[in-house]
Amino acid sequence: MNATKKIKNLRLFALFVVPSVFIWMTVVIIPLLYGVAITFTDWNGLSMDIHFIGIKNYIAVFRDTAFLTSMLKTVLYVFLSVLGSNLIAFLLALAVTSGMKGQSLFRTGFFTPNIIGGIILGYIWNFIFSYAITGIGERMGIEGLSTSMLTHPTKALTALIIVTIWQMSGYLMVIYIAGLTNVSQELIEAARIDGASPWQIVRNVKFPLIRNSVTICIFLSITRTFMSFDLNLSLTSGGPYKSTELIAYKIYQTAFSSMEFGKGQAQALVLFVIVVTVSLLQVYFTRRGAVEE
Amino acid sequence: MKRKWISVLLMIVMTASMLAGCGSKQDSGTPGAEPDNKAAAEKTDESAPADAKEVNISFYSTQTGIDDTYLDIIDHFEADNPGITVEYIAAGDDQLQKWMSLYASNEGPTVSLMDPINIWENQDRMREMTKEDCPWLDNILEESLVSYIYNDKLYGIPMSAAGYGLLYNQKVLDEAVGGTFDPASIKTRSDLEALFKKIEATGAAGSMFTGVNWSLGSHYLGALVYGPARGDVATRDAFVQAQKSGEANLIDDSLFNGLMDTFDLIAEYNYNKKDPLVGNVNMDAEALVTGKAGTWFMGDWAWVYLADLVAEGDSFGIIPIPYSDDPDDKFNTSIPLSYPKGYCVDASQNTEEQQEAGLKFIEYITSNEYAQKVSIDVGGQALPYKNCTAEIKSPLGQATQKYISEGKAYDIYDGSVNGLPSDFWYECGAYTCEYLAGACDRKQLSEKVGSYWKALEN
Repeated sequence: MNATKKIKNLRLFALFVVPSVFIWMTVVIIPLLYGVAITFTDWNGLSMDIHFIGIKNYIAVFRDTAFLTSMLKTVLYVFLSVLGSNLIAFLLALAVTSGMKGQSLFRTGFFTPNIIGGIILGYIWNFIFSYAITGIGERMGIEGLSTSMLTHPTKALTALIIVTIWQMSGYLMVIYIAGLTNVSQELIEAARIDGASPWQIVRNVKFPLIRNSVTICIFLSITRTFMSFDLNLSLTSGGPYKSTELIAYKIYQTAFSSMEFGKGQAQALVLFVIVVTVSLLQVYFTRRGAVEE
Repeated sequence: MKRKWISVLLMIVMTASMLAGCGSKQDSGTPGAEPDNKAAAEKTDESAPADAKEVNISFYSTQTGIDDTYLDIIDHFEADNPGITVEYIAAGDDQLQKWMSLYASNEGPTVSLMDPINIWENQDRMREMTKEDCPWLDNILEESLVSYIYNDKLYGIPMSAAGYGLLYNQKVLDEAVGGTFDPASIKTRSDLEALFKKIEATGAAGSMFTGVNWSLGSHYLGALVYGPARGDVATRDAFVQAQKSGEANLIDDSLFNGLMDTFDLIAEYNYNKKDPLVGNVNMDAEALVTGKAGTWFMGDWAWVYLADLVAEGDSFGIIPIPYSDDPDDKFNTSIPLSYPKGYCVDASQNTEEQQEAGLKFIEYITSNEYAQKVSIDVGGQALPYKNCTAEIKSPLGQATQKYISEGKAYDIYDGSVNGLPSDFWYECGAYTCEYLAGACDRKQLSEKVGSYWKALEN
């Protein structure tokens, strides 16, 4: 009787688990293993002739100064984008949970950039930076605005960061809103009675209690910005003169433009390891100081 | 209990549909079916009569701006060839990436329109075209096939002949020279400089660069510095090898320095000088048509951008890029030319039936009167097909045709399509853009290009 029940349970378990595992295997694990296998070959992405070359691609990746430069640029981009988008998202969340008039409308408005695809967004901002702002600059005689931000290396990276922050803040704001609305009103009320200023309430009451939201937001923003590609492609295309080639774009160029698919995959695997390490470390350290309500 | 059974049923349906989705295609007429040509041929013999067969093929085009034209040609082709259906796939921003994705998903296009270097790199997948299979090959100009013959085997048919140089606005230049401007009057760099000065005197900019990798990297640096002006294929290969080993540097090369002197001259009179890397072909086309700039470094393919802007009576032409100050240098008075894209047929993921239908499609595009007419009207470029009688309406295409007929056009590949790697335009184009923006000097440009070659050697 017991054995029959066990088998029955096992069958039911299998019915629910097998399809999910199958999907997970086919869309995540097998492609990952396939990708790892390609890193040990000289495949160009098209040829029917593939040779095993050992770890040559990995050696090439670490010897490639362009890859390392691109990685450093990406780290800078990630740092500034994560900092900027989280700060703005948090401030926006505070604003739209303060009970101000029309806050639902503002929430929707701030979230909208996130639902526009990165490619479209890139083209829109490309137009804004290259023609709208320069047009205003020329008409008003402002020299600094009369040339496109996208044609100067430092300004182009700044433009990329601005658009990333603009796009991601709304998304992160929603998570912060969820955290803030869960903060007990009694605690805030108590702090207020104790004479805490609005800033002190934010710093000493709200912020410690939404630590989990902060962890999630930083984790999400780090992973998203590390792998930022579509915006990079449509806004700057790595230019001017390869100065805004973020790591994902560099990988794309190696695989599809230079037709070094094996090396591109090796670069992608290095990026994967870095992103996983950074994300896990961040989650570990942020959670360690989390306050339980 | 009922709920449990509904859940179980849903799971079964989901799993079944998933497995069905993952199943392989069995339809031999679908692009991406297994590449066993022999098996496919046998299948053809055993199945229904040939006239009852439906063949689905796909056509991947990387030529931007003429999608509607190709769709129109496909409609006519399908009407003339019942039983053959052509699926049109237009390339996005990155032609190679999409091509590779199609192959990776086992949906390699039956016919692809690609650059010669791409066909060369993927030749092991391509079907060789022979006169036995394709008697219509006699209709293609022999010299245009050179870029598509590898190891004595033909793998592609050129789409058009494309000439480039400095496009000019006749009206602006007539005003500048105070008469009718003749491009043959420009034989040296000094002649070009004098012309630019005259144009500037009228209030228009002397010239214009579109600051993008493909124009500066591929058409200027790649095709001119590493092109036939250097010598025959062996000489060009030897120069590349010498750069890879570090024995040769561009900065010591007279051809490079001569061309970069001309580059500097164009950059000095550049309409986009203030912000040289904005790189918008549409806006530059508008600047040429409206007379804001007198000349523009571009090719006859730019007609697709100009055509909608030109007014009745406007005329345009092409001035060759002078390499030097020597009036007897034949390259100073000739335009660079290429057969930049070719139709090829995949033999690795398409059945014999599909390949034959693909060849039939190429025959139609290259030989049919209607297909030739619409291609010329929209693309504005000369077609390298002997039976072509369609008149080129584009003045730029007419200019290219004139240079060809006068023997004043040189094929930039000239028997060596693989002289430059497929990423040269992107990598070295970026360095040339950097040079145009004034962010590096000529010596640094030379070193950067040298590093590119050395990295390939390692």
